[in-house]
Amino acid sequence: MRLSLLIVRQSRLKKKEVTFSTVLVLKRLPEGEVITMFRHLRSLQQVSRRTLSSSARRPLENKVPHKQKLFQEDNGMPVHLKGGSTDALLYRATMALTVFGSGYVLYTLIDAALPKKKN
Amino acid sequence: MAHQAHAYHMVDPSPWPLTGAIAALLMTSGLAIWFHFHSTTLMTLGLILLLLTMYQWWRDIIREGTFQGHHTPPVQKGLRYGMILFITSEVFFFLGFFWAFYHSSLAPTPELGGCWPPTGITPLDPFEVPLLNTAVLLASGVTVTWAHHSIMEGERKQAIQSLALTILLGFYFTALQAMEYYEAPFTIADGVYGSTFFVATGFHGLHVIIGSTFLAVCLLRQIQYHFTSEHHFGFEAAAWYWHFVDVVWLFLYVSIYWWGS
Repeated sequence: MRLSLLIVRQSRLKKKEVTFSTVLVLKRLPEGEVITMFRHLRSLQQVSRRTLSSSARRPLENKVPHKQKLFQEDNGMPVHLKGGSTDALLYRATMALTVFGSGYVLYTLIDAALPKKKN
Repeated sequence: MAHQAHAYHMVDPSPWPLTGAIAALLMTSGLAIWFHFHSTTLMTLGLILLLLTMYQWWRDIIREGTFQGHHTPPVQKGLRYGMILFITSEVFFFLGFFWAFYHSSLAPTPELGGCWPPTGITPLDPFEVPLLNTAVLLASGVTVTWAHHSIMEGERKQAIQSLALTILLGFYFTALQAMEYYEAPFTIADGVYGSTFFVATGFHGLHVIIGSTFLAVCLLRQIQYHFTSEHHFGFEAAAWYWHFVDVVWLFLYVSIYWWGS
């Protein structure tokens, strides 16, 4: 019982697939050797746990399925606005700059083209 | 809900081509206004609009491909053709500057002293920083290939590491080149030598920055699980662009730095 628990815990930590043959090998060993192995594996477990928790960051969650659901929703929104209110804000800001810029460039170029009266 | 009976992508109406066109108008007019009237407002406005357009347009393409599934095999084929044609146009862009360099350097005029490098110009030693730069870019070509194989084999951590290393090498090249520019004993105003050197290497440097940015976007996408082992065209496009930048450098190094010294 203790043996199978150890293997499950170890596999969760190392994310390795544990085969049936590994379990069989451990079950065939004499008890004394199994206990020594257990102690070594336990310390290895503690070391890896410490290493993983101290240096590695929590793995980033895969948000792609969530995004796929959001952008495939049948709400008639065009792709450039389908992400939500931030999209609309950014679009409005861009369009405002576009309209203002168009006017400003026309004014600047016309002004540059007209002769200036010298005093 | 209407379904299409073909594999092609009929895009939603989008405002970004218009905003991009206006950005181009503002940048070009702004450049002229800066030259004649010393005001940078119009040009800056154009640049901001360009950045906003690029961000939103490419964001939408990622949404259409990765989140909506519109990038079917025929669509991907079109995207591949598009990227290849774009890179080809960039090759012709650089070809012009190489033409200018060889035009002036193969038959140096009496005004230059009839020699190349021209009299009074101390060229950079091709076996110092330029050689290091060559090694850096070649190494980055290896790491980007490593990244590609990692993605194809589903090795997430290796893909992230090798892609990050590629970007770091790109930054290292840019930093070294910036230092070289600062320390160079000649300037862009030093006759045709200065012009050909700084325009050709300068545009190349800009392309290294563009390529590094493209790869950085791919790194973010790889971290966010966008790429699969079978479908990762965004990364492939970035890798093609990066190899192109590397090849241009090799031509620059052999022609301008080595032969030209």
